[in-house]
Amino acid sequence: MDVKGKNFKKFLDRQQVFESQYDAKSMQKQHAKGKLTARERIDILFDEGTFEEIDAFVTPTKSDGGFGKIQQSYGDGVIIGHGQIMGRLAFSYAQDFNVMGGSLGSIHAAKISKIQDMALKMGAPIIGLIDSGGARIQEGVASLAGYAAIFYRNVQASGVIPQISVILGPAAGGAVYSPSITDFIFMANKTSYMFVTGPNVVKEVLNEDVTFDDLGGAEVHAKKSGVAQMVYEDEENTLMGVRKLISYLPANNLENPPEVDIDKKETKDIEEKLRDIAPDDPNKPYDVKDVIKLLVDKRSFYEIGELYAQNIVVGFGRIDGKVIGIIANQPKVLAGTLDINSSNKAARFIRFCDSFNIPLLTLEDVPGFLPGVDQEHDGIIRHGAKLLYAYADATVPKITVILRKSYGGAYCVMNSKNLGGDFNFAWPTAEIAVMGPEGAVAILYRKELAASKDPAGLKKELAAKYREEIANPYVADEKGFIDEVIDPATTRKKLKSAFLALENKYITNPTRKHGNIPL
Amino acid sequence: MAESKSNGSKVTKHKLIALSSSKKQFEFSNPQEKIIKYKGEKVKVRLSEDPNGFSYIVWKNRKYMLDIIEKNQNRYTVMVNGVWHTFTIESPFSLKRKKLLEKQAGVSTSESIVSPMPGKIIDVFVEEGAEINTGEPLLILEAMKMQNEIISPIDGIIRKISIRKNDSVMKDDLLIEIDRR
Repeated sequence: MDVKGKNFKKFLDRQQVFESQYDAKSMQKQHAKGKLTARERIDILFDEGTFEEIDAFVTPTKSDGGFGKIQQSYGDGVIIGHGQIMGRLAFSYAQDFNVMGGSLGSIHAAKISKIQDMALKMGAPIIGLIDSGGARIQEGVASLAGYAAIFYRNVQASGVIPQISVILGPAAGGAVYSPSITDFIFMANKTSYMFVTGPNVVKEVLNEDVTFDDLGGAEVHAKKSGVAQMVYEDEENTLMGVRKLISYLPANNLENPPEVDIDKKETKDIEEKLRDIAPDDPNKPYDVKDVIKLLVDKRSFYEIGELYAQNIVVGFGRIDGKVIGIIANQPKVLAGTLDINSSNKAARFIRFCDSFNIPLLTLEDVPGFLPGVDQEHDGIIRHGAKLLYAYADATVPKITVILRKSYGGAYCVMNSKNLGGDFNFAWPTAEIAVMGPEGAVAILYRKELAASKDPAGLKKELAAKYREEIANPYVADEKGFIDEVIDPATTRKKLKSAFLALENKYITNPTRKHGNIPL
Repeated sequence: MAESKSNGSKVTKHKLIALSSSKKQFEFSNPQEKIIKYKGEKVKVRLSEDPNGFSYIVWKNRKYMLDIIEKNQNRYTVMVNGVWHTFTIESPFSLKRKKLLEKQAGVSTSESIVSPMPGKIIDVFVEEGAEINTGEPLLILEAMKMQNEIISPIDGIIRKISIRKNDSVMKDDLLIEIDRR
């Protein structure tokens, strides 16, 4: 730097000390664990050269002299700042495991709060890169207060700006609650953990032996607990995944999601393959993702929570360059039934889309709610109600296409006409009724079946009659519960014009502090 | 790196590695330079498309038909001349990390397939001792009036089959054990 004749000595000295904090040794420490440093992560997340750090030179509070030592360093173990992701503003904080294990002291927390406040004021997404040992024990209650301040801001920003947490190391104790309030959690497989109490405490209290990975590893949270939506095999892909997600989201709740130009030749509006996807035999499964991929712009489907509650598929996609949120029953898994986990997964996704002006497309093939003692005792009633509530409460454009089964309470829940569906289409293969043929026949013709010499044959005959007369889309169509029965091949074309017609949809729910969703 | 930074004005060239399921490494760079390095040898490749929409790759003056079957995160399934290959795209660091973590974890030896729900076994496609690849069907389980294909999560060899055709199973019952290959 050309600083002739200027007294820049202190400025440069500080700069030098600061840079020495990120020397080869500190890199080596992280790399040896298969992890990147906080600064490398920031470089991948943001467009090249766009990140501007703030508060790089704040120092930790001085120790009160008593317990433990506080490592003096610039930045107090967290990098905060703003930059661009594919040309759009975003804020971020990145915890630095090399400074006191990324532990959260009061200054560290104040920095995170500061960047949260800025993101909210500016109306831009915030991304937290988390790699921290937890609250800084030396600072006691001050660091706990710091966590609470972060949680408070997470809640204030919820539904106003997209908040994304990326777990790239440990997140233990109170540290897990900030990510869990945010909209999406990404984890890097095998090097990140989340738990409220760690394996040592579990061992002490319950005498159970469990490894870090089995207790709170990425796979556990992606498959079993549903805490993490996205798991990637390495950090670079994780951060690239965040960039991709951001490309679907508006900067805040007042904007619409970004549109992209598409190559019109790439995706066909009339797609004859759609006629053959759903098998004629209603007991044969198929992969609903094949349907989604043919309906949205080529390669635009981005699935959320792929490994959790796989009986429902949710994710973002684009139709003619415009972002939509997709909720689809998955006949391939658990026959596409609704259960506790799938209701929770879909409800949360719908709430997110509604907050951020993302129209909803529901692809329905649902035989009903999953029966069973487990489900009833664990509260499928109250969890299923969340999905129902989320659909009914959403004011964004809502379109449903019934692909095949649509039975009972599940018909009502999956964005039916009277729940507020704007357009409800059905394929000719649709079966809409209070219950499936076998169940209905068993109830309505119990006496006849008992008296019959060939009950199986009679049952089959009656079931066929039931399908013909009741369980088809035409009854619903004639009564106006379905707007149109459509040729599957024309689905994308129909969706395009329907979403276009709904572009200026405006409705408001009654004024109130907030509704009381059955949490 | 699967999702490349396309909008940045300044773009640095990144070295990337395509790692096949049989651990073969092919080096290339992003943005594309159309040179692939394999076992230290640099080979020029060319991609072309015919009017019918089929894609071809030209490698060492031979033309191979090419199609991307599936892409998920950094995992690709491609078909070259009718044969399927799976790859992951790695950066030098992620490759190092992969090796490091594999070493730390040791080799996990087997996978137990349990029933995801109560149901009835309709068909079993494999025999003990048979080789199986990720994504190939093991058996069909009928549950909720639907026939569900249970597929292999790993490449391996069938060690033990604990069920037979027409058996009824409960949730979490052990079905098949597979040794990793």
